[in-house]
Amino acid sequence: MSEKPLQAPATLDQKSGRSLWESLTQRSVEQGSTVVIAFDETEKMDSLGGAWLVKIAEHLHKSGSSLKLEGQQGSVAELLEMVAPALQKPVRKQGAEAGFFENLGDTTLAFIAESRDFLELCVDAIYWSVIAPFEGRGFRWEIFIDEMYEMGVRAIKIVCLMNFLLGLIIAMLMAKQAESYGISIFVADIIMIGFARELAAIMTAVVVSARTGAAIAAEIATMKVQEEIDALRGMGLNVNQFLVAPKLMALLVVLPCLVTLGVLSGIAGGSVWGIGVLGFQPSVWFTQTLNSAFLEDLAQGFLKTIIFALGIVLIGCHNGFRVSGGSRGVGLMTTRAVVMDIFMLISCDIVFAAIFYYVLG
Amino acid sequence: MSEPLVAVHNLVAHYGDTLILDNVSCQVEPGEIFVIVGGSGCGKTTLLRHMCGLHGATSGSIIYRDQDITQLDEDALARLQRTIGIAFQSSGLFNSMTVGDNVALPIREYGDVDERLIDAIVRMKLSFVGLGDSGHLMPSELSGGMRKRAGLARAIALDPPLVYFDEPSAGLDPIMAAGLDELILDMRDLLGITFVIVTHELDSIRKVADRILMLDRGKALFTGTVKEAENSDVERVKQLFERRPDEFIAQRNV
Repeated sequence: MSEKPLQAPATLDQKSGRSLWESLTQRSVEQGSTVVIAFDETEKMDSLGGAWLVKIAEHLHKSGSSLKLEGQQGSVAELLEMVAPALQKPVRKQGAEAGFFENLGDTTLAFIAESRDFLELCVDAIYWSVIAPFEGRGFRWEIFIDEMYEMGVRAIKIVCLMNFLLGLIIAMLMAKQAESYGISIFVADIIMIGFARELAAIMTAVVVSARTGAAIAAEIATMKVQEEIDALRGMGLNVNQFLVAPKLMALLVVLPCLVTLGVLSGIAGGSVWGIGVLGFQPSVWFTQTLNSAFLEDLAQGFLKTIIFALGIVLIGCHNGFRVSGGSRGVGLMTTRAVVMDIFMLISCDIVFAAIFYYVLG
Repeated sequence: MSEPLVAVHNLVAHYGDTLILDNVSCQVEPGEIFVIVGGSGCGKTTLLRHMCGLHGATSGSIIYRDQDITQLDEDALARLQRTIGIAFQSSGLFNSMTVGDNVALPIREYGDVDERLIDAIVRMKLSFVGLGDSGHLMPSELSGGMRKRAGLARAIALDPPLVYFDEPSAGLDPIMAAGLDELILDMRDLLGITFVIVTHELDSIRKVADRILMLDRGKALFTGTVKEAENSDVERVKQLFERRPDEFIAQRNV
């Protein structure tokens, strides 16, 4: 072990600390040696000078050698004592780098675990919403009413507006095509069938998932972060009964209502173009619309809303419960909920389209 | 007598229509640990937040470095605030960053230091508060006491001459609280930092305070050393130091 004494400057600050560091990095230090810095001439030092010492110690640790300070007195000695823990070799547990198969295994296991959690939530939520009230285990009616107001009544304006505009757009698009064949009146049929089967349900569900799905995830995530969920559990209350069931039942009731309004708004949007621009008599346009209204088309649309409502609430709650960390976690989970909602809507819609148009049709 | 570091003159503050601080005056001397004490809801934290420039006052002035904090525009206030460290009651760490990045943030933004040195400064500041090896952790992975210490490390990141610390020992175990008190004393002695601390922990007050200001229902009742406070004739001050309850707890519901 060789000792190479190095003289610290009279004032150890940012500037002199840097020269000390530079002079040390320029010399070659043997592995396993100890570099000694003498402080007997140092009268003053500040925290930036201390930071250069930390930098020197890091440099020495990397090259496998160590740092020793000697000769310090008075306030410099006291400050060095405070800096001393930072001069130790950092202890950081570093696991081995995971390989491809380990990552694949981790991802699969995490997916299975999450699916199991989600399935448990679904079963629990459906039990507390549909079965438990009939077993006399209670249902929170006040929250159910509040949620219906929040999810339904307050969403009416935006749902109607979006569907109205979509109706207008579809009419504009189709009229251009139909005009060249002289069958513009069939735009009324397209609007009716399109909105009944597909457009009203999907458009309304997208609006609701962005509004309600995000709100559910954020609310539950914040409650989890602030230990409110633990407080509920600690009081012996069932979280699914208390929080999830009223939301689930509320959306199951209000989403079909919103979709009904969506169908009407879409038709209204289409008729503005049909009557106002294409120049049809209102009686002709609406008779054509009514003639193309079939119960089975409407039933298709409404069947979807039940699945969509279940999906939006359960995905929102699931992501809310999975939050970890603080405000950042809440934001991430809210985003994840909305993305998963929209993915769920489109995937379910594909399945419905395949069943209705090809398997049954 | 030296010039005070911070001087508060006749400060009046409201939240909405509610009067929170009623004509409060006090002075913080350089290098001292000035403790603001009082019961819950007496306006301690509000006074601290005004002294940091986080709230505007109804009337009165707060002089720091020859400038009145209450009258400054946004830019001038921001410049002045960079010379103040603030450690919040619930730490105020950014959840989206590691502890190390939290401490590095003010240094990167405003510190006039060599870029290569930032990691070393962060490690040093964190090791001052006993968290030298926790820089890579997220705030959510820390315990309450660790979060508080990390908040203090961030507050001293730019070597401020003045640090405001809101409830350092609230929610900590006695050993951790005592350790934090030691840390505050060390920082004052070795780094020359002046502390303004809000607390109602008697043990802490006795250990660290050079002078205290006692607030009660928004009014400054007493200013002086701990010894003077313990021998004070003011009933409310005596009551606080003797830990005597009000006759009815309802009296506190002001």
